[in-house]
Amino acid sequence: MKYGVILFNTTTSVMQAEKILLKADFVIKLIPTPREFSADCGISIRFDLDRNAQIKALLEKEKANYEAIHPLVVNGV
Amino acid sequence: METIDARDLACPEPVIRTKKALENSKDGKLTVIVNSTEANENVQRFAKNQGCSVKAAEKNGVFTLEINKTGQAPEICQAKAVVMLIASDQLGVGDEALGQLLIAAFINTLPEAKTRPMKMLFINRGVLLTTEGSRVLDSLQKLESNGVQIFSCGTCLNHYQLKEKLKVGKVTNMYDTVDSLLNADNVIRI
Repeated sequence: MKYGVILFNTTTSVMQAEKILLKADFVIKLIPTPREFSADCGISIRFDLDRNAQIKALLEKEKANYEAIHPLVVNGV
Repeated sequence: METIDARDLACPEPVIRTKKALENSKDGKLTVIVNSTEANENVQRFAKNQGCSVKAAEKNGVFTLEINKTGQAPEICQAKAVVMLIASDQLGVGDEALGQLLIAAFINTLPEAKTRPMKMLFINRGVLLTTEGSRVLDSLQKLESNGVQIFSCGTCLNHYQLKEKLKVGKVTNMYDTVDSLLNADNVIRI
Protein backbone atom coordinates (compact mmCIF):
# COMPACT_ATOMS: atom_id res chain seq x y z
CA MET A 1 0.00 0.00 0.00
CA LYS A 2 1.48 3.32 -1.04
CA TYR A 3 0.87 6.31 1.17
CA GLY A 4 1.17 10.05 1.00
CA VAL A 5 1.57 12.43 3.89
CA ILE A 6 0.28 15.95 4.47
CA LEU A 7 2.57 18.20 6.50
CA PHE A 8 1.31 21.12 8.58
CA ASN A 9 2.58 24.14 10.44
CA THR A 10 0.16 24.08 13.35
CA THR A 11 -1.97 21.57 15.21
CA THR A 12 -5.03 23.70 14.45
CA SER A 13 -4.49 23.20 10.73
CA VAL A 14 -4.18 19.43 11.29
CA MET A 15 -7.55 19.38 13.04
CA GLN A 16 -9.12 21.54 10.37
CA ALA A 17 -7.85 19.36 7.52
CA GLU A 18 -8.84 16.18 9.34
CA LYS A 19 -12.40 17.43 9.67
CA ILE A 20 -12.59 18.32 5.98
CA LEU A 21 -11.15 15.00 4.82
CA LEU A 22 -13.23 12.83 7.16
CA LYS A 23 -16.40 14.62 6.11
CA ALA A 24 -15.59 13.68 2.53
CA ASP A 25 -15.06 10.06 3.65
CA PHE A 26 -11.37 9.83 2.86
CA VAL A 27 -9.50 7.11 4.74
CA ILE A 28 -6.81 8.93 6.72
CA LYS A 29 -4.67 8.38 9.76
CA LEU A 30 -3.10 10.81 12.22
CA ILE A 31 0.56 9.91 12.55
CA PRO A 32 3.69 11.48 14.01
CA THR A 33 5.48 13.45 11.30
CA PRO A 34 7.88 10.93 9.71
CA ARG A 35 11.52 11.60 10.56
CA GLU A 36 12.54 12.24 6.98
CA PHE A 37 10.38 15.35 6.82
CA SER A 38 10.75 18.55 8.72
CA ALA A 39 7.58 20.40 9.54
CA ASP A 40 6.61 22.77 12.28
CA CYS A 41 3.88 20.48 13.45
CA GLY A 42 4.78 17.04 14.80
CA ILE A 43 1.52 15.49 13.66
CA SER A 44 0.78 14.73 10.02
CA ILE A 45 -2.03 13.10 8.11
CA ARG A 46 -1.34 9.92 6.16
CA PHE A 47 -3.55 8.98 3.22
CA ASP A 48 -3.68 6.40 0.40
CA LEU A 49 -1.48 7.73 -2.37
CA ASP A 50 -3.98 6.90 -5.10
CA ARG A 51 -6.24 9.59 -3.59
CA ASN A 52 -3.53 12.22 -3.95
CA ALA A 53 -5.21 14.30 -6.64
CA GLN A 54 -8.66 14.28 -5.00
CA ILE A 55 -7.31 15.18 -1.60
CA LYS A 56 -5.20 18.00 -2.94
CA ALA A 57 -8.19 19.36 -4.84
CA LEU A 58 -10.46 19.23 -1.81
CA LEU A 59 -7.96 20.94 0.47
CA GLU A 60 -7.45 23.72 -2.05
CA LYS A 61 -11.20 24.11 -2.51
CA GLU A 62 -11.76 24.40 1.24
CA LYS A 63 -8.75 26.71 1.57
CA ALA A 64 -7.23 24.41 4.16
CA ASN A 65 -3.88 25.39 5.59
CA TYR A 66 -1.17 22.85 5.01
CA GLU A 67 2.52 23.06 4.35
CA ALA A 68 3.18 20.30 1.86
CA ILE A 69 2.03 16.96 0.51
CA HIS A 70 4.60 14.25 -0.16
CA PRO A 71 4.59 10.58 -1.03
CA LEU A 72 5.73 8.43 1.87
CA VAL A 73 8.70 6.27 1.01
CA VAL A 74 8.99 3.14 3.15
CA ASN A 75 12.24 1.13 2.97
CA GLY A 76 13.25 2.74 -0.27
CA VAL A 77 10.00 1.88 -2.04
CA MET B 1 10.11 -29.95 31.19
CA GLU B 2 7.50 -28.47 33.47
CA THR B 3 3.76 -29.06 33.32
CA ILE B 4 1.31 -26.44 34.55
CA ASP B 5 -2.19 -27.62 35.39
CA ALA B 6 -4.24 -24.46 34.99
CA ARG B 7 -7.61 -26.14 34.77
CA ASP B 8 -10.50 -24.31 36.42
CA LEU B 9 -8.37 -21.26 37.13
CA ALA B 10 -10.00 -17.90 36.46
CA CYS B 11 -8.53 -15.48 33.95
CA PRO B 12 -5.80 -14.15 34.08
CA GLU B 13 -4.32 -16.88 36.29
CA PRO B 14 -3.46 -19.36 33.46
CA VAL B 15 -1.46 -16.72 31.61
CA ILE B 16 0.23 -15.54 34.80
CA ARG B 17 1.32 -19.09 35.65
CA THR B 18 2.51 -19.66 32.09
CA LYS B 19 4.51 -16.47 32.22
CA LYS B 20 6.20 -17.30 35.53
CA ALA B 21 6.98 -20.83 34.36
CA LEU B 22 8.52 -19.56 31.13
CA GLU B 23 10.68 -17.10 33.05
CA ASN B 24 11.99 -19.84 35.33
CA SER B 25 12.26 -22.48 32.65
CA LYS B 26 15.77 -23.72 31.93
CA ASP B 27 14.99 -25.52 28.72
CA GLY B 28 12.31 -23.17 27.41
CA LYS B 29 9.81 -26.01 27.18
CA LEU B 30 6.52 -26.06 29.01
CA THR B 31 3.21 -27.92 28.94
CA VAL B 32 0.09 -26.06 30.04
CA ILE B 33 -3.26 -27.75 30.61
CA VAL B 34 -6.47 -25.69 30.58
CA ASN B 35 -10.11 -26.53 30.21
CA SER B 36 -11.75 -23.41 28.82
CA THR B 37 -11.72 -21.95 25.32
CA GLU B 38 -10.88 -18.56 26.75
CA ALA B 39 -7.87 -19.84 28.72
CA ASN B 40 -6.73 -21.81 25.67
CA GLU B 41 -6.87 -18.70 23.48
CA ASN B 42 -5.27 -16.44 26.09
CA VAL B 43 -2.36 -18.78 26.86
CA GLN B 44 -1.70 -19.49 23.18
CA ARG B 45 -1.79 -15.83 22.32
CA PHE B 46 0.53 -14.95 25.20
CA ALA B 47 3.02 -17.69 24.25
CA LYS B 48 3.08 -16.68 20.59
CA ASN B 49 3.48 -13.06 21.61
CA GLN B 50 6.62 -14.07 23.52
CA GLY B 51 8.02 -15.76 20.42
CA CYS B 52 7.16 -19.33 21.44
CA SER B 53 5.80 -22.09 19.26
CA VAL B 54 2.62 -23.76 20.46
CA LYS B 55 1.38 -27.27 19.74
CA ALA B 56 -2.19 -27.69 20.89
CA ALA B 57 -4.23 -30.83 21.44
CA GLU B 58 -7.81 -30.95 22.67
CA LYS B 59 -9.82 -33.81 24.11
CA ASN B 60 -13.18 -33.56 25.85
CA GLY B 61 -12.80 -29.87 26.51
CA VAL B 62 -9.30 -30.19 27.97
CA PHE B 63 -6.57 -28.39 26.03
CA THR B 64 -2.97 -29.53 26.32
CA LEU B 65 -0.58 -26.87 25.06
CA GLU B 66 3.06 -27.67 24.38
CA ILE B 67 4.98 -24.43 24.46
CA ASN B 68 8.49 -24.12 23.17
CA LYS B 69 10.63 -20.99 23.26
CA THR B 70 12.10 -21.58 19.84
CA GLY B 71 15.71 -20.84 19.10
CA GLN B 72 16.77 -20.40 22.72
CA ALA B 73 16.92 -23.91 24.10
CA PRO B 74 19.18 -23.76 27.19
CA GLU B 75 18.63 -20.10 28.04
CA ILE B 76 16.18 -18.63 30.53
CA CYS B 77 13.28 -16.98 28.74
CA GLN B 78 12.58 -13.37 29.36
CA ALA B 79 8.86 -12.91 29.30
CA LYS B 80 8.06 -9.30 30.16
CA ALA B 81 4.47 -8.40 30.83
CA VAL B 82 3.99 -4.78 29.83
CA VAL B 83 0.59 -3.35 30.65
CA MET B 84 -0.57 -0.04 29.27
CA LEU B 85 -3.20 1.81 31.26
CA ILE B 86 -5.04 4.40 29.19
CA ALA B 87 -7.14 6.53 31.47
CA SER B 88 -8.26 9.22 29.09
CA ASP B 89 -9.02 9.94 25.46
CA GLN B 90 -6.28 12.58 25.65
CA LEU B 91 -2.54 12.40 26.05
CA GLY B 92 -1.45 14.92 28.63
CA VAL B 93 -3.43 17.63 30.34
CA GLY B 94 -4.23 20.84 28.55
CA ASP B 95 -6.05 21.73 25.39
CA GLU B 96 -8.56 18.95 24.79
CA ALA B 97 -8.26 18.86 21.01
CA LEU B 98 -4.48 18.70 21.22
CA GLY B 99 -4.66 15.88 23.74
CA GLN B 100 -6.94 13.91 21.43
CA LEU B 101 -4.61 14.47 18.49
CA LEU B 102 -1.63 13.34 20.50
CA ILE B 103 -3.18 10.13 21.74
CA ALA B 104 -4.32 9.30 18.21
CA ALA B 105 -0.81 9.72 16.86
CA PHE B 106 0.54 7.71 19.79
CA ILE B 107 -1.81 4.76 19.32
CA ASN B 108 -1.36 4.84 15.56
CA THR B 109 2.39 4.44 16.05
CA LEU B 110 2.12 1.40 18.33
CA PRO B 111 1.41 -1.23 15.63
CA GLU B 112 4.74 -0.49 13.98
CA ALA B 113 6.79 -0.44 17.16
CA LYS B 114 9.32 -3.24 17.70
CA THR B 115 7.78 -4.35 20.99
CA ARG B 116 4.18 -4.63 22.01
CA PRO B 117 2.39 -4.27 25.28
CA MET B 118 0.82 -7.48 26.57
CA LYS B 119 -2.35 -5.64 27.55
CA MET B 120 -3.98 -2.29 27.02
CA LEU B 121 -6.55 -1.32 29.64
CA PHE B 122 -8.91 1.53 28.84
CA ILE B 123 -10.67 3.28 31.71
CA ASN B 124 -12.74 6.40 32.20
CA ARG B 125 -12.55 8.52 29.05
CA GLY B 126 -10.16 5.96 27.59
CA VAL B 127 -13.20 3.91 26.55
CA LEU B 128 -13.98 6.57 23.97
CA LEU B 129 -11.02 5.12 22.07
CA THR B 130 -12.33 1.57 21.88
CA THR B 131 -15.89 2.42 20.91
CA GLU B 132 -17.79 3.60 17.87
CA GLY B 133 -16.56 6.98 16.67
CA SER B 134 -12.97 6.47 17.77
CA ARG B 135 -10.25 7.62 15.39
CA VAL B 136 -7.96 4.76 16.34
CA LEU B 137 -10.09 1.65 15.91
CA ASP B 138 -8.10 0.14 13.09
CA SER B 139 -4.80 0.57 14.91
CA LEU B 140 -6.29 -1.08 17.99
CA GLN B 141 -7.73 -3.88 15.90
CA LYS B 142 -4.35 -4.42 14.29
CA LEU B 143 -2.71 -4.60 17.72
CA GLU B 144 -5.33 -7.05 18.85
CA SER B 145 -4.75 -9.31 15.86
CA ASN B 146 -1.05 -9.24 16.76
CA GLY B 147 -1.74 -10.62 20.21
CA VAL B 148 -2.26 -7.52 22.34
CA GLN B 149 -5.13 -7.98 24.79
CA ILE B 150 -7.45 -5.00 24.79
CA PHE B 151 -9.85 -4.37 27.65
CA SER B 152 -12.34 -1.61 28.38
CA CYS B 153 -13.77 -0.96 31.83
CA GLY B 154 -17.40 -2.07 32.02
CA THR B 155 -18.35 0.57 34.57
CA CYS B 156 -16.97 3.29 32.33
CA LEU B 157 -18.70 1.93 29.23
CA ASN B 158 -21.97 2.00 31.13
CA HIS B 159 -21.37 5.47 32.51
CA TYR B 160 -20.69 6.93 29.06
CA GLN B 161 -23.52 4.84 27.61
CA LEU B 162 -21.18 3.05 25.23
CA LYS B 163 -21.79 -0.55 26.28
CA GLU B 164 -23.37 -1.46 22.96
CA LYS B 165 -20.76 0.49 21.03
CA LEU B 166 -17.60 -1.38 21.97
CA LYS B 167 -15.71 -2.04 18.76
CA VAL B 168 -12.47 -3.66 19.84
CA GLY B 169 -11.38 -5.92 22.69
CA LYS B 170 -13.35 -7.14 25.66
CA VAL B 171 -15.06 -5.74 28.73
CA THR B 172 -13.17 -5.99 32.01
CA ASN B 173 -13.81 -5.25 35.65
CA MET B 174 -11.87 -3.82 38.58
CA TYR B 175 -10.72 -7.22 39.88
CA ASP B 176 -9.03 -8.05 36.59
CA THR B 177 -7.70 -4.52 36.28
CA VAL B 178 -6.09 -4.70 39.73
CA ASP B 179 -4.68 -8.17 38.97
CA SER B 180 -3.26 -7.02 35.65
CA LEU B 181 -1.59 -3.99 37.17
CA LEU B 182 -0.16 -5.81 40.18
CA ASN B 183 1.20 -8.70 38.13
CA ALA B 184 2.71 -6.62 35.38
CA ASP B 185 6.46 -6.29 35.01
CA ASN B 186 6.00 -2.79 33.74
CA VAL B 187 3.00 -0.47 33.73
CA ILE B 188 2.78 2.43 31.32
CA ARG B 189 0.14 4.90 32.43
CA ILE B 190 -1.12 7.13 29.64
